[in-house]
Amino acid sequence: MNKLFKNNSEVNKFSPVKLSSHHLLAIEGMQKSEIQKLLDRADFFANLDKHADTKYLSGYVVLNVFFENSTRTRVSFELAARRLGAEVINISLINSSIKKGESLLDTASTLNAMKPDLLIVRHPHSGAPLLFAEYLSCSIINAGDGRHEHPTQALLDALTIKRRIGYLEGLKISICGDISNSRVARSNIHLLTTMGAEVRCVAPSTLMPSKLEKLGIKCFNDMKEGIKDADVVMLLRLQNERMSGTENPSEREYFKFFGLDETKLSMASPNAVIMHPGPMNRGVEIASALADDTNRSLIKTQVEMGVAVRMSIIEALNHSKNKT
Amino acid sequence: MTHTIFKSIKLINPATNFNQKVNVEIHNETIINISKDLNLEKFNKDNQTIIYDCEGLTMSPGIFDIRVNIGKTENLKFTQIIAAESGITSMAILPNQTPKLNNPSIIDHIKRQSEDINLPKIMVCGAATKDLNGLEICEIGLMSEMGAIGFTNGNKSIKNSLVMRRLMSYATMINRPIIQHAEDEDLSGLNQASTTSIKGEMNEGEISTRLGLIGIPACAEVIMIERDIRLAKLTGARYHVAHVSTRDSVNVIREAKKSGLSITCDTAPPYFSLNESKLLTYNTAFKLSPPLRSEDDRLAIIEGIQDGTIDAIASDHRARSKDTKAQPFSAASVGASGIETLFSLTLDLVHKKIIDIDKAISFLTINPAKIFGIDCPSLEEEKVADFIVFDENEPHTIKQENLKTSPTPFEGKKINGKILATYINGQVAFMNQIFKNKIIK
Repeated sequence: MNKLFKNNSEVNKFSPVKLSSHHLLAIEGMQKSEIQKLLDRADFFANLDKHADTKYLSGYVVLNVFFENSTRTRVSFELAARRLGAEVINISLINSSIKKGESLLDTASTLNAMKPDLLIVRHPHSGAPLLFAEYLSCSIINAGDGRHEHPTQALLDALTIKRRIGYLEGLKISICGDISNSRVARSNIHLLTTMGAEVRCVAPSTLMPSKLEKLGIKCFNDMKEGIKDADVVMLLRLQNERMSGTENPSEREYFKFFGLDETKLSMASPNAVIMHPGPMNRGVEIASALADDTNRSLIKTQVEMGVAVRMSIIEALNHSKNKT
Repeated sequence: MTHTIFKSIKLINPATNFNQKVNVEIHNETIINISKDLNLEKFNKDNQTIIYDCEGLTMSPGIFDIRVNIGKTENLKFTQIIAAESGITSMAILPNQTPKLNNPSIIDHIKRQSEDINLPKIMVCGAATKDLNGLEICEIGLMSEMGAIGFTNGNKSIKNSLVMRRLMSYATMINRPIIQHAEDEDLSGLNQASTTSIKGEMNEGEISTRLGLIGIPACAEVIMIERDIRLAKLTGARYHVAHVSTRDSVNVIREAKKSGLSITCDTAPPYFSLNESKLLTYNTAFKLSPPLRSEDDRLAIIEGIQDGTIDAIASDHRARSKDTKAQPFSAASVGASGIETLFSLTLDLVHKKIIDIDKAISFLTINPAKIFGIDCPSLEEEKVADFIVFDENEPHTIKQENLKTSPTPFEGKKINGKILATYINGQVAFMNQIFKNKIIK
């Protein structure tokens, strides 16, 4: 048996994770122990040489189905699946069948008829992957649905933080920016609060969703106050494509009050690190120099961890399906 | 010639505050006798008379359902048939169908098309503005002459204040109500200029935040009602608010009624039975307009029903095909079926001891008639025999597979009370097997 695939539960890092579901649709509702195991396994993959033999999912078919534009997430999933030896087919459905009038479920059942093992779905509508999971027999990974969740992004963010700081519990983490339109924010809030971090959200009141504090976090409209003593400052992209023009007066006004610069960052803990799920708007969400400061910015590490995290998830879903 | 006797039936007739066990005798289309004593022997030799033993059953006027959308998947006759099976003897349809009900000839056409004397009567709410565009007023005088009972933009608000003022003012001359779907569509992101990415999808609050769906603030409803109340005061119009769903709306309407304005409102079963937590699984059967609100709003609707602020209960029937509902929540159609569950869900208020049975029947019969100023149905001697027979306690479970329209937001709900027979003009429009078995001779 491949040395990376030992069925020895005591040696956690050397065995695939078994989850309670064979889908990954949302972080909300996931157990702390499951998240912990996925992160440990991903950490193990991250430490491997990229040429290490991890190809034990040969014959496993992955469809990367994207109803919305994406570069980094799609490529990251593809690399992860390929490094596990799976076959990957990329399908961009941004225009094609939707324009022809085919319903989402017809598209789904067509894809299902090709008997893939795993469907990785990104869709502009919140909840769409749940609909796929309800009607399809294969595993589903939510690669971002509307404003709902982006679970793999939250897992890779958590791994990035853990590898830099060593732990999550008790950390003060400020998520700043367009919370309203952000699936990344929602997944991170659920994951980080589950892991025991102290989460704060900072946004202009027009981009702060209703009753957000009910998710177990603190909300701030003043960025300096919101990132005070923070260990991690996580920035979000302004999603202008999801706005009506009434949320934000201008980019320069946004940068003045909510863009991360040296002055605002000085309020955070002296060793605070900076994260951004990308793509970032330099000079809007973050001062360009800070984004490039390799001592503080973990932005590139986030991208790197994406592959490892997605390997651990694809492997786990395969393992969970086989064993249930 | 038909001659039928309903023996030992509990007759509820809100128009005369009547609620007693009696025998009811109908001859052709007329009720000819309501009495406590009945000499059955007289009829035993008479083969023309049908007698039903109605011990434990109840009779009341038929339901007047004042808010029915005829969708693309239904035709008028189909809707009439399921309405008869659901205890409805007359219903008001909305103008937002294809083609739109926005001129006198089409209203005349609908009237003629639905003239079948043995099916529920169709009444028409005419379009208030041309093409329902909210900009120019329709020929509401001519439509009124053709029988339109009120005017509305259907499921869209009459948004422009000047247009609303003129409509209300003009409607006072023909003494018809203006019916408003109260929603500030700019605030809820539902005006026509909105891009798909910011269209309101559900009630705004913790649950919309968790689900990542666009919230519609509850105040989008009361803002429109408050404006309209001021215009009703200015014009003296009869103003009716359809499907009220929030606490603030109930409060504002309560105050306006106290001040003596001619204001009425209705609600629909989803708004007193369900709240927004139903949406947690993105189930599109719960995608409604107005959206399901908070638990506090639901309780306020119940208070409004109890104290009479809310006048009537309508089905707000807006059936949708399975195809348009089997979609991601944002892309799914809005609306749910309602006709088939209107009666039992209203009766549920009685079983939950929220209102008594007489009041429940009023909400479905005489109150809707009063809103539109049409003759109140009343079961008295010499009156037309339009009525329903039901079992107040018959337990059953609402199941989509047993319904003819979809989707129901009440799948799996256990409920008591069932329509057994519907009579229109003295003729059987619907009768189920349970009732057929009650025949004595």
